[in-house]
Amino acid sequence: VKVAAAALAVLAALSCAGCGDERLAAPMAAAGSAVPERGGTLRLASIGDIRTLDPAASSDALGGMMVQLLFAGLVDFDERGAVVPDLARSFTIAPDGLAITFFLREGVRFHDGAELTADDVKRSIDRSLHPGTPNPFASFFDRIVGFDAYRAKKTQTLEGVEVGGRYVVTVRLRARDAMLLPLFALHGLRPVCASAGTRYDDAWHPCGAGPFKLEPGGWQRGRQLTLVRHGAFFRPGEPRLDAVTIFYLMASLTQRYKLEAGALDVMRDFTQGDLSRLATDERWKPFGEYEPERSIFGEAMNTEIPPFDNVEVRRAVAAAIDREQYRLIRPGTILPSGKAVPSSVPGYSKDVEGQSFDRTRALEHMRRAGYAFDPETGRGGYPHRIEYLAYRPGYAEYSAQVLQQQLAKIGLRIDIRLVSFATHLTLSQRRGKTAMSTQAWSLDYPDAHNFYESLFSSRMISDEHCSNAAFYKNAELDGMLDKAREELDPAARQAIYDRAQAIVRDDAPWAMTHANRWYVVRQPYVRDLELHPTWIYSLRRTWLDRAKGAIAARAGVFGELLGLSVPARNRTEPR
Amino acid sequence: MNALIRRLVWSVFVVWAVATLTFIVSNVLPDDPARLAAGAQARPADVARIRAQLGLDRPAREQYVRYVSRLIHTGPKEAKGDHATCAIYGPVHFDLGRSYQQRRPVTAIIAERLPRTLSLAAVAAVLQALLGTIAGTIAAARRGRATDTLVVGSTLLGISAPTFVLGVALQYVLAYRLKLLPLDGFGATFTERAASIVLPATTLAIYGAAHYARLVRDEMIGLLSQDFVRTARAKGLGELRVVGHALRNGLGTIVTMFALDIGVLVSGAVVTETLFRWPGIGALSVSALVDRDGPVLLGIVLVSSTAIVLAGLMADVLLVAFDPRLRSRAGGARDY
Repeated sequence: VKVAAAALAVLAALSCAGCGDERLAAPMAAAGSAVPERGGTLRLASIGDIRTLDPAASSDALGGMMVQLLFAGLVDFDERGAVVPDLARSFTIAPDGLAITFFLREGVRFHDGAELTADDVKRSIDRSLHPGTPNPFASFFDRIVGFDAYRAKKTQTLEGVEVGGRYVVTVRLRARDAMLLPLFALHGLRPVCASAGTRYDDAWHPCGAGPFKLEPGGWQRGRQLTLVRHGAFFRPGEPRLDAVTIFYLMASLTQRYKLEAGALDVMRDFTQGDLSRLATDERWKPFGEYEPERSIFGEAMNTEIPPFDNVEVRRAVAAAIDREQYRLIRPGTILPSGKAVPSSVPGYSKDVEGQSFDRTRALEHMRRAGYAFDPETGRGGYPHRIEYLAYRPGYAEYSAQVLQQQLAKIGLRIDIRLVSFATHLTLSQRRGKTAMSTQAWSLDYPDAHNFYESLFSSRMISDEHCSNAAFYKNAELDGMLDKAREELDPAARQAIYDRAQAIVRDDAPWAMTHANRWYVVRQPYVRDLELHPTWIYSLRRTWLDRAKGAIAARAGVFGELLGLSVPARNRTEPR
Repeated sequence: MNALIRRLVWSVFVVWAVATLTFIVSNVLPDDPARLAAGAQARPADVARIRAQLGLDRPAREQYVRYVSRLIHTGPKEAKGDHATCAIYGPVHFDLGRSYQQRRPVTAIIAERLPRTLSLAAVAAVLQALLGTIAGTIAAARRGRATDTLVVGSTLLGISAPTFVLGVALQYVLAYRLKLLPLDGFGATFTERAASIVLPATTLAIYGAAHYARLVRDEMIGLLSQDFVRTARAKGLGELRVVGHALRNGLGTIVTMFALDIGVLVSGAVVTETLFRWPGIGALSVSALVDRDGPVLLGIVLVSSTAIVLAGLMADVLLVAFDPRLRSRAGGARDY
C-alpha cells in the first residue's frame, strides 16, 4: 500500500510538472519589526557568472554589483544616479574645470585593517590605468593629464593624479570633463589594499574598503560567492547584513523553486511564465518591483550600406515599426520606446518626442526615397533583399520575425541571419559587413552622454568593434557631444541632450524599439532592498526582518503534495 | 606488447589531431575572444590592448607552435614568471595556457573541475551498469512475459526522453515537490555532496541504463540458448545459478561498454551538469564555448579526448582479460 501511495504521489507530481496553472507557494513571513535589525545572510542568485572581483578588470554589471560591495569609491552614485561623496568627505572642482580635488575621510579602514590614505588612492589609480592591466574602461580616462605618456610607458606614474597631503588627492585634466565624476564613481578606480601592489596581478585576493569583505575561500568560481560584513566599515551601522551570498549559474526555474521554498531571498531571472505568474499573484505582487531601466534596444541601419545610406529609408523603417508588437514578445520586461536613452538615466529627454509608429508616414518616406510601395498589390519597394543580423538564444530571434513582417508592409524585404552572440558582436560592428542588425546598449555610467557618444558619435567609428554600429556621422551631433562632455551645468547639458535626441530621431541611424527593465521579487522579510540605477542592488542598508533561526519551509516527504507541510506562521496571509 | 605500443602511439596521434582541429576551428570562427574578454561595450583601444595582453595579436601559427611546445616541457620547481600557468610534477611541466575570461591557469581550472566530473561519471556509470544489467538479465530470463515487456517498454522511454526533460522532471518531483533531495549544487560536506550527486547521476544513469538493459537482454537471450546453459540445466542447477552462469559469459560486453562510458562521461555531461549546477567539466565547456575561451576549450578537448582514448584502450584490455577466446586466438595474453 505504501509503495502504491508513493507511486501515486510521484505520478501526481509528474503530471503537474510544468503545468501552467501550478499553484505558487506563498511568500515567507516577516516578523513585522519596524526597527532595522542587524544580522543574517541575504541569498541571491543569478543565471550568469562573474569572472573577476578585481575592480580594475571587471566589465559586466553582475560583477560590478559585487565589486562595489567590496570596494568603496571616492564618490558613488545615489539611488537616482547622482554622484555623491563616499570615501571622500567632499570634493571641489577648480573654476576652470581642469582639476578635481578629493578630501578623504580620516580613519577609513581597509579590510586588512590599514588606514586609507591619499597614497593608496593614487596607487590604486596608477594600478588600474597601467597599460598592463586588463581594464576594459581605461580609455574613458584619457583626459587625465599624462594619460597618454603613462599608457605608452613613458612615465612610471600617472602625472595628473597628485597627492596633496595624507588625505588630499587632486586629479588634473587636460580638458574639462563633465563625465569624470561619474567615471570615478564606477568601480574601475576604487582604492585597493596595499596587498594589490602597484601592478595588476591575476592571483591577488580582493581587498578594499567596501561594506563587505571576501574571506579566503569565499568565492567558489562558477558556484557561489559569499561576502561578509566589514566590521570597520566607515559608515556607522552599515552594512546591516552579516553576509551576502550569491549563487551563480542557477537556472531560472531552480531559482523560482528555491524562492518558494524560502531558500532564496531575492530573485530577478524569470522565465516568461514565472514572471507573469509572480507579477500577478496577489500574495507575491506587493514584494515585486521593477528595476530602473538601464538598456535600450533598436535596429541599427548601416549608413554606409544601401539602402540605409538614404535617410528616407531609415526614417521609413523607424516609422514602420509597431513597438507594441515587440512588447508582446516579453510583456513585463520590454517597454516600447522610440528614444535613444532609457527614461531613468539622467539626461533622458522627457519632452522631446521619440520615433513612433505610423505606417502611412513610413510609406511616404519610402516614396521619397524612390522606392514607392503599394501594400495592396505588394508591388514596388526596395528591389533587393537586405541581410539582417540577429543572435540566438534571446529575444532577438523572435523580434527579428516581427521586424521582418513589419518591414515587408512598406516594401523592405529582409533575410534574417541568426548567429551566436559572439559572432553577432564581431560582424555587426565590423565596417562594411552588415546592413542591418539588432543592437542594444546598457549604461556604463548614468548619463545620457554614454548612450549618445557610444552609439552615434563619429569618433566611435572604427573598422572593428565599432560601437557606432550604424557608422553614423553627423558633425552637428559630434560638436554637441563634445560640448556636453565639457559642460558642467546639468541644465545646460540637458538642453544639448534634447537636441541630440531630436537629431537621432530624425536621422534615424537606429530605429529605436524599446528599453528593458528587470522585475525583482523579494521575500517579505527583506527590507530596504534598494534597486539601484547602476549597481542592480545597493545592499548597504538592506536588512532581514525575521525571527531568529531558519525560516525556510520544512516540508515533509509528501507534505507539499498534500499542502500541509509549511507551518502557518511562516506563511503570509493571502491578501 | 607491440600492439599496445602501436595503440598508444595511435592514441597520442588522435589526441593531437583533435586538439589541432579544435585550434583551427576556433581560429577560423569570425568571433573575437578579446572582445568577449574585454566586454561587449569596451572601446576598440581597450579591446586591442587586451588582445595584446592575451597574446591574440600574434599570428595563429605562432600561437599554435607556442601552445604545442609548452604542453609538456621541463622547467624550475616553482610556478613563476613564464611558468606561472604550469602544473608542475618534479621537473616536468604541463601548460595549457591561461583562461581569457578567468585569467587563471587552465591546468588549475581543470584540476578543480575534473574530480567533480569524475565522481559524477563514476556514480552514473556504476548506477547505469547495475540497473541496466539487472533489468536486462531479468528481461532475458523472462523473455516474452509481462516483465520483459515492461523492461523493454521502459528502456524505450529511457532512451527516448531527452536529458533536459528527464532532469527537470526528476528535479521537480524529487527535489521541489517531495523535498527528498537538493534542487541543485555541489554541497559543502560529504553528506551534502552525496545527496547532491543523486539527481544528476540518476538523470545520466537512466539513459545509460536503458541502453545497457537492451544490450544485456539481447546478449543474454543468445547466451541462455547456448549448449553450456542447456547442460547446466540438465545437471539440475537452479534457474538463478544458470542465469548467473550465463551472465558471467556476457560480462565482457558489459565491462567494455562500462569502460567506454566512463570515457564519454569524463568529457562532461553538458546538459546535466548545467541543469543541476554541478561544477564539472561539462558546465565549464558551456561557458568556455559561449565566451570563446580558447585555452579552456582546448584544455577540455585534450582532457576529454585523452579520457576517451584511454577508455577505449582499457576496454580492449578488459575484453581480452574477460574473454579467454580472444587471448588464445591472437596470443594476446602475452601481448598484454
